[in-house]
Amino acid sequence: MSPLARKTSRLARWACCLAAATAAATAAVRGAEATLYRALNLNGPELVLDGRKWEGSNAPAFTAKGNRFENQSVPLRPATDPKRAQMIRSSVWGSRVELEMTGVPTGDYQVFVHVWEDTQSEQFDLVLNDRVVAEKFHSGLAGSWKRLGPWPVRIEDGRLRLFAKAPNHGAANLSGLEVWSGDGPVPDPSKPVFNDDPTAEQLAFFEGRIRPVFVEHCHECHSAGAAKLKGGLLLDSKAGVRKGGDSGPLMNPASPDSSLLVRAVRHEDPDLAMPPRRRIPEAAVADLVAWIGMGAPDPRTEDTVAAAATRSGIDWKSAKDWWAFRPVSDPKPPAVDDAAWPEGPIDRFLLARLEQSGLAPAPEADRAVLLRRLTFDLTGLPPTPAEIDAFLADTDAGAWERAVDRLLASPAYGERWGRHWLDVVRYADTAGDNSDFPIPQMHRYRDWVIDAFNRDLPFDEFVRQQLAGDLLQTGRAETDHQRTIATGWIANARRFGSRVDDYPQHLTIEDTLDNLGKAFLGLTINCARCHDHKFDPIPTSDYYALYGIFDSTRYPWPGIELDQRQRDLVPLVEPERREEMEEARRRHDEEKRRLEKAVKELREESKSVAAAEKAAAEKRIQEAEAAVRAHVDRGLPFGLAYAVADKPKASDAVIQVKGDPARPGGVVPRRFLTVLGGSTLADATRGSGRAELADWIVAPTNPLTARVMVNRVWQHHFGRGLVATPNDFGRQGRAPTHPELLDWLASRFREDGWSVKALHRRILLSRAYRQSSSVTEEQSLKDPTNELLGRFPRRRLDAESLRDTLLVLGGNLEPAPRGPHPFPKPSDWKFTQHNPFRAVYETRSRSVYLMTQRIQRHPYLAIFDGADPSTSTGRRTSSTTPLQALFLLNDPFVHGQADLFAERLRSMRASDADRVREGFRLALGRSPVGDETEKSLAFLKSARERSVGEKDPEAESWRAFARVLFRLNEFAQLD
Amino acid sequence: MSTPLQTSRRETLRSLVGASLLLPGLVSDLLRADAPDAQGDPLSPKPPLFRGKASRVIFIFSNGGVSHMDTFDPKPKLFEADGKTVGIGGGLSNQQRRLLRPGWQFRPGGRCGTMVSDLFPHLRECMDDVCLIRSMKGEDNEHYQATLGIHTGSFFFSRPSIGSWISYGLGTLNANLPSFVAISAGSPYAGTQIFNNDFLPAYHQGVRVVPGNEPIANLDRRTVRSGLQEMELGLAGALDRGHLKARGNDAELAARIRTFETAFRMQTDARDVFDLSKESDDTLALYGMRRGQTDGFGWPCLVARRLAERGVRFIELVDGSSSHNWDQHGDMAEHAQHARNLDQPVAGLLRDLRRRGMLEDTLVVWTTEFGRTPGVDGEKGRGHHSACFSSWLAGAGVRAGSVYGSTDEIGATVAENRVHVHDFHATILHLLGMDHEKLTFRHGGRDYRLTDVHGNVVQALLA
Repeated sequence: MSPLARKTSRLARWACCLAAATAAATAAVRGAEATLYRALNLNGPELVLDGRKWEGSNAPAFTAKGNRFENQSVPLRPATDPKRAQMIRSSVWGSRVELEMTGVPTGDYQVFVHVWEDTQSEQFDLVLNDRVVAEKFHSGLAGSWKRLGPWPVRIEDGRLRLFAKAPNHGAANLSGLEVWSGDGPVPDPSKPVFNDDPTAEQLAFFEGRIRPVFVEHCHECHSAGAAKLKGGLLLDSKAGVRKGGDSGPLMNPASPDSSLLVRAVRHEDPDLAMPPRRRIPEAAVADLVAWIGMGAPDPRTEDTVAAAATRSGIDWKSAKDWWAFRPVSDPKPPAVDDAAWPEGPIDRFLLARLEQSGLAPAPEADRAVLLRRLTFDLTGLPPTPAEIDAFLADTDAGAWERAVDRLLASPAYGERWGRHWLDVVRYADTAGDNSDFPIPQMHRYRDWVIDAFNRDLPFDEFVRQQLAGDLLQTGRAETDHQRTIATGWIANARRFGSRVDDYPQHLTIEDTLDNLGKAFLGLTINCARCHDHKFDPIPTSDYYALYGIFDSTRYPWPGIELDQRQRDLVPLVEPERREEMEEARRRHDEEKRRLEKAVKELREESKSVAAAEKAAAEKRIQEAEAAVRAHVDRGLPFGLAYAVADKPKASDAVIQVKGDPARPGGVVPRRFLTVLGGSTLADATRGSGRAELADWIVAPTNPLTARVMVNRVWQHHFGRGLVATPNDFGRQGRAPTHPELLDWLASRFREDGWSVKALHRRILLSRAYRQSSSVTEEQSLKDPTNELLGRFPRRRLDAESLRDTLLVLGGNLEPAPRGPHPFPKPSDWKFTQHNPFRAVYETRSRSVYLMTQRIQRHPYLAIFDGADPSTSTGRRTSSTTPLQALFLLNDPFVHGQADLFAERLRSMRASDADRVREGFRLALGRSPVGDETEKSLAFLKSARERSVGEKDPEAESWRAFARVLFRLNEFAQLD
Repeated sequence: MSTPLQTSRRETLRSLVGASLLLPGLVSDLLRADAPDAQGDPLSPKPPLFRGKASRVIFIFSNGGVSHMDTFDPKPKLFEADGKTVGIGGGLSNQQRRLLRPGWQFRPGGRCGTMVSDLFPHLRECMDDVCLIRSMKGEDNEHYQATLGIHTGSFFFSRPSIGSWISYGLGTLNANLPSFVAISAGSPYAGTQIFNNDFLPAYHQGVRVVPGNEPIANLDRRTVRSGLQEMELGLAGALDRGHLKARGNDAELAARIRTFETAFRMQTDARDVFDLSKESDDTLALYGMRRGQTDGFGWPCLVARRLAERGVRFIELVDGSSSHNWDQHGDMAEHAQHARNLDQPVAGLLRDLRRRGMLEDTLVVWTTEFGRTPGVDGEKGRGHHSACFSSWLAGAGVRAGSVYGSTDEIGATVAENRVHVHDFHATILHLLGMDHEKLTFRHGGRDYRLTDVHGNVVQALLA
């Protein structure tokens, strides 16, 4: 075809393709573009769509059997132009809808059908000339519509038949039918064909009537010169208007009236009304319609799109100037006046600020206080009297350092610091859907975290494995299993709802991205889901650039009310055993089907057995059912991880306008946040991009990751981070109190190979950490909130430390890790939102092993400010409530532990005074002073007298004494 | 200049409000208005933004989806259902189904003449105190999401409950009782999330009360021997005082000592709330209760009045549970037993509040999570329907004896004056003197509101 002919043909398509619709088609040449044979509006008048003529429901040689239905008030998803919407929203419906077209010339055809849903999802099959072309199609949420097809079909008897069949009271809702002649590609009606060879009149029309409208009404927000570019849309260049913005393409010459541009200026959709608060004149609207109809002739050649490609509404230069986005510096520790006090750089950074404010650091705390502080800090448990004695006796210079190293090496360290991480990643043992399905494999991830802290897995590796452990396999089975388990971080994202169709996976991905931002980057990137972040430089396109990575990731299915079985978990088998495993899985499924079939057959048989044999038949059925359950519970002969894998095909995501998945905008390639460099995937990348994302997060060019982690560690040692908002380093967060110290620590952290234990040592070996918590009047005036750390902040034991201490003192703490929870057997799972999974499992293990549910707070953790199991807890609240006091007064657990503790004290062969002393040492980490012993002995005496008549007044009095110790401020407080 | 004790009280308050160090909204007002409050208690009463008519709320929630067209929204057209005409019906899926005739006649109630069905003969007589909304609209047809939505304004993600927001905004008037109490015999849809404080500090969580022997967990003394607990607290107090003194009277330590005093008193004071023995026969009859009865809805309603008298800010009464409730897919006739359980106690509560003058400053709210379909589900039931339903307000500041909004002729969609769940919440906060756009809490880098970024106060509901 000559260039001229091609132009002519293009012009013909937008100007006069109506003729094509009526042209009778015979068998077309194979491979050539298909042409429209007939299009039918199944319940309505004839109309023109995409420049093609559609026949109405009274068309000849066509019948449609079913009920007629119309409801034009349902908003469509995705929204579309008014004419198409009118066609879609009037339909033929029923449990069986039959369409038949006759007199069709022999040949190859391709068929499309428009379906829609006016209320809530239905399920149906579609059969085209006896071939099932769609099985169990879900019609989706109210307003959903789809153009299904193309389905090829060969017609030889002149008849084309399309049946829709909906089983179980369902209904199909069919709106429109398109039959294309030929087996070549069907032209995409939504793909605009523009006029690139405009006439002089057309250009004059643009200059006189269109360009002024753009300049006057639109350029303020939609040009390269806009102060703040809105919606990613540029109207100041040809490339810009033809590309469209975040909400998608702007116009289609085939249907000017339904073009987004025209609908926007007509204010047809309140969310897309432009300009937002006023309307452009009617005449200008008419001009725009005419201009689009001409194929949008446009003489402008300057490409503002490329120039503006890197900018949205964000001023990147000033955005990058925010402290958190600046590169990590390596400042020198400052000079200080009191050169004798500092023992290292940390002390110098802190002292310099104190001196500036005219303050001095607090004196060193008492050594017993220090050991209690350190032991709780690193292990969440109290020091034993033997440890106290040993430490107090060790007066050598290195005593403190030895204590630090001893505690860092203790397995209890991982249980304590792993819990801090589990707070951040909103760990839970259930999925969070309406029925809150249990996840029996989730504990593997919990244990992986604890173990990672204990073996000091470098933090960059810690990040990599959680994001992409499954992609970073080594060939060593045990290592690889652990890496797979690490991706439980992604798998643990919250699930929603109870339905299978319209399953809100986008919310689960949102939950993932929310946690990704807060946990690793200290950024609230989820704010950019519906609109550009209002405070931080994160445009919506950045959000969906990351979204594509997780949308290309297969999450495991935890079960849901309407689909109760787990699936897509990752088997923990070596690569060479994969085949064997697949075979085992196949056999297992086969056996299950066989057993289920047996049950079915027995049921059938029992219908016809004689009355006398009913009972026996029933028994056989029950046995067969038990066999199915036993088989299901036996599971597969290999372990499973609640972990992720890449989907077979990765793809970029489409922007969801205003966060609504039913409103697709433009496609965004997967990449990292623009403000952090915007790294993109290499062209050759085939996978989801998670491994690359992990690399971007821990790259030396990203200043956030190291800063965020050192701040978390600092926060747990000093009660508050150098940045007081650990999950938000953005403009809504707090600025660092000691920015130079933060950067110095971040630099050392990287230098130390991201070793968390090395970071602990640096902080704990500072003199600042060993300060007393007593406050002077001057300090409370000049630094009431202790931002400058001129004293150690007094702190409450958190929920876990309190409970674990009660177990330690009762002598019944289960030392071994907890392992899996005693969840019900999968064959018993029948959870619904009416009867969701709900359990509290008693255990004497450490509190990090308590089973945590998403939709029911653990009753103990709820009272004592436990972590939120639904969203990242960067820092726990520390509240003081009467309910906590009631718990310590009356809860059976507290009383039980007091009884055990009392027995321990009584079993000592010692005087009452010695027992009191031991009680103090165990509970408070110190011996009684002043009149404390005297008061205690007097109390024991009165309590015994009060308990006369009880079985054992002596025992009662010690129990009462134990309860007193458990309730003391000093017991619950760390100096 | 402030004394050390005062500044350290401020420090405590800051630490008490927890992760949010920026103290937005009313908590910062509290810090500013530091002087008069000697208690240092974050739950101490806080002045509202403006003078609201209501100072407390009794929020009655009926689980399962109460049919509007069988209770508060008369639809004559539906009574003509001929078994052929179709409309929205079905379970979750809202298919086209034949219309189902309502099972109960409607009659006018009170002087205002608001039409209410025979399911609620007692409540019908209270219509002069009620502002009925027939144009409520939610966003989701599933119990869980809809229940979460009507309680938190969020249909998917967990957020603080409306009771927690109100406790956060206004504090409590009685330091010996929690500010937010949820009386719930069973577990509702969406679990404890519906009375959870979520990211608000833990003082604002709804304290669950379960009708029966120990209505609040750990309220009963476990040391039976009289005086022993007092002795224990005596020794603890002595040791704590020494500890406190050595630490410059640290306000947080002092506050914790006080919680033990409060808890100690709660063992008797809170017990007293649940002790109905001194209520007269006349009062019990008003609530339709037998003496000593703790099952049924009379106990929660009467206890709600007693909690309200004692200054509890927000009292939620949960009618039904996730497994036993108004969710009648199969046979609408079962609505009768649930209505019987609710009708007289709630009417009794309104009357009791009125005769004690408490309706002047108590807002009573009744709602469900969604309505039901005009078309049939199953044999004789109705499906879930969030597109429209009925709720009502009574008492302080509401336009009593009025009806607002309407649905179409079969009750399938809102016809006029739509009240979205967010509007409903905004109006409740307004009645308490709070602006739903200003009651915010900073969490995770964002100022959160009960109404998210939506909601308008519905002026027509106000007196």
